[in-house]
Amino acid sequence: MGAIDINNVSHFYARPDGGTVETLNNVSLEVRKGELLCLIGPSGCGKTTLLNIIGGLVQQVTGEVRVNGKPINGRPSPRDIAFVFQDNTLFPWNTVLDNIKVALEFQGVPQSERQGRAEEAIEAVGLKDFGKNYPHQLSGGMKQRASLARALALRTDVLLMDEPFAALDEQTRMYLGEELSILLATTNKTIVLVTHSLSEAVFLSDRVVVMTARPATIKATIEVPEKHPRDPAFMASPRFAEHRNELYAQLRAEIEKTVGGFVGNAAARDRQRRAVAGQAAP
Amino acid sequence: MNKPGIDWHARAIQVAFLAGVIALWYLVGATGKINTVFLPELPRVIEKFGQIVQTSRLYENLRVTLTELVAAFAIASTLGLTVGYFVGRSRYAALVFEPLLAGLFAIPLIVFLPLFILFFGIGMESKIAFGASYAFFPIALNTIGGISQVDPRFVTVARSMGANDAQLFRRVLLPAALPVIVTGLRMGCIIAFLSILGSEMIAGLRGLGSRVAALAEGMNTAEMFAYIVFVILLAALLNTMLTKMQRRFSEAGQAP
Amino acid sequence: MTDATLKAATDAGTPSWREMLAKSPGKARLLVVIATFIVWEIAGHTVLDPHFLSPPSAIVGALPRILSDLGVQKALWASFYELIIAFAIAIVAGVAIGLAVGLHRFTFRSSLPLILLLYSIPQVTILPLFVLYFGIGAGSKIAFGVSHGIFPIMLNVIAGVQSVDDAHLTAARAMGATRMQIIRRVVLPHMTPSLFAGLRLAMSGTLLGVLLAELYVSQGGIGYYSRVFADSFDPPATFALVTCLAVMAILLNESVRRAERRASFWRTHQR
Repeated sequence: MGAIDINNVSHFYARPDGGTVETLNNVSLEVRKGELLCLIGPSGCGKTTLLNIIGGLVQQVTGEVRVNGKPINGRPSPRDIAFVFQDNTLFPWNTVLDNIKVALEFQGVPQSERQGRAEEAIEAVGLKDFGKNYPHQLSGGMKQRASLARALALRTDVLLMDEPFAALDEQTRMYLGEELSILLATTNKTIVLVTHSLSEAVFLSDRVVVMTARPATIKATIEVPEKHPRDPAFMASPRFAEHRNELYAQLRAEIEKTVGGFVGNAAARDRQRRAVAGQAAP
Repeated sequence: MNKPGIDWHARAIQVAFLAGVIALWYLVGATGKINTVFLPELPRVIEKFGQIVQTSRLYENLRVTLTELVAAFAIASTLGLTVGYFVGRSRYAALVFEPLLAGLFAIPLIVFLPLFILFFGIGMESKIAFGASYAFFPIALNTIGGISQVDPRFVTVARSMGANDAQLFRRVLLPAALPVIVTGLRMGCIIAFLSILGSEMIAGLRGLGSRVAALAEGMNTAEMFAYIVFVILLAALLNTMLTKMQRRFSEAGQAP
Repeated sequence: MTDATLKAATDAGTPSWREMLAKSPGKARLLVVIATFIVWEIAGHTVLDPHFLSPPSAIVGALPRILSDLGVQKALWASFYELIIAFAIAIVAGVAIGLAVGLHRFTFRSSLPLILLLYSIPQVTILPLFVLYFGIGAGSKIAFGVSHGIFPIMLNVIAGVQSVDDAHLTAARAMGATRMQIIRRVVLPHMTPSLFAGLRLAMSGTLLGVLLAELYVSQGGIGYYSRVFADSFDPPATFALVTCLAVMAILLNESVRRAERRASFWRTHQR
């Protein structure tokens, strides 16, 4: 039994005009304790829905989800699972420290402990001097670190992250990715991370799960047997390139289905590319 | 969103204008060309003002008007905040009821004053009821708007961390909606004040508005002018106080 | 589609009336209004004292009675004319002053503070002055209505004129436009949406001003009649009169809103 067990989960929702849209089709997955698993797939395929189902924000239509053995059925489990969302959802009317303290209050932590745990959390992410600042006074990267601190302060076993670095520039992303890797090595948290970035997936994950276009199932799983904390040099290594290429190969067909390409399918596009290149060549 | 201090240029122009008006008023009075019933001489008005400020009659009327204002505002804000909260919490209820309230508010509610006089007579009760009814709308509408427009992601985050309804309200909805709600309260207070004055003027025996109307009827223009000046100053004072309070609420955080 | 999802989809079935209401808040709103009237009607005959809260049926019954009174007819028509005239004057004067103030930086900086100062005076306090100077006839009501309605128009016109993009002005001048042409072709079209947005506020203001003045002056007009009906303990008549005024207000507000929508419709395409 893993930290997270997903069995035959399906999900759909009703369209306003009467039809239904199937988002997840019979997804089964086991997330091992202490691993970082990335969900990657074409846009809109349902990765976020799956993440929300694991976290109890959305109820699955069929199938079973267990976190630490406990069943999850559309109700959040704040003592076991913490979220980090893409657009920072820090409350703008609270300081960083207060944001964390409010989260602890929601979780049910006694008041006497809140200040201490909040300070500990911001120190862990390197924001020690910014506790009394308001979110609007922080940069994008700092806001996400604060969001991470808030999630860490909750001391859950599981961390669910929905494209947490998507709104940041490349350099900040890389930097925060390294920090996350270090964090993984020091704690024993189980992390499920949704991302669009191939490099990020390979750099951070122990395993990358590729999902198909809608209705989503699991297409492939790629293992990245590299120890945490990961060296930035890993990104330049041939192993990295191998994993990344394998990932892209799996993804490409699914992206085709979603994006379509302006010629309709991969084969036609290849032909068109060769034709244009042929004309351009002298 | 905070203006960088007072616009001295604009203030100077306004002060100069007022000074000019006062000077003109004095001069016109001095020439004696205008019938003093229509425009009493400035010195007489100033003298009257000095007189009324020392009589108990002014303060009696002031007490009546302020009592009506406090009562009306208390009723309007209690009802308005409560209704606003329950309607604003439900997306569907907001869609149904908000246009109804907004549409009703677009009619100048002054037309319903005769009904209030019918029910409550011409005493303080009708003014309180009318003022409360009028002020209810901006308070309720702003509360609905503020609460229903809270970013749903904040609610999702709070729920994911285990917040119950009471915590959600105290820690998320209220602070998020507070600036808009406070604006509504401010508007409500001003509207309550003005509608109370108006209803006192139209049908009332006591209160500042009634006094002004009585003086107008008796062609006692100098004293009427004095009272009008007093009421304008009172309104300005009220406005300043409300703006200050609003500013304080917009900046304060909510420390847990 | 998998079996499970297909099954769940077909279980949805035909929409119940609850679902139909859920899809259309407009219908729900209509139901609420109708329900209110029904409750009012029933309460009027059972719980409440009919001398205070006339049920809708009594009000509707009273309508022909009061409307057949020539005096009431005259009073209502007089109010209506005053509203229209005041609104028209407010627009014309508001646009004229707004343009004069907004078009020149100098007038803008010197006059806007004065306009704002005047706007901040609670006009209800000087209502007796209006009656003193303009008499108890239509003049004071029109004047008071104009005084309320002119400010939103002025301020919106000024804002609209002031917000013209400098880039557009420069471009026009570079193409050789005269000042008159710039005003006609760049400034005015830019200002028009703001003007229309201000019209609704102006109508609300005019309504407030005229009706407030009418109720205050109880020697004639609807102020007189509302007093008469109330004093003679004729609640249905009071209600009926108030209903007429409310309907007038709603119709005028709606007309302005339709006009605004029609004007904005082609406006959004032009930008």
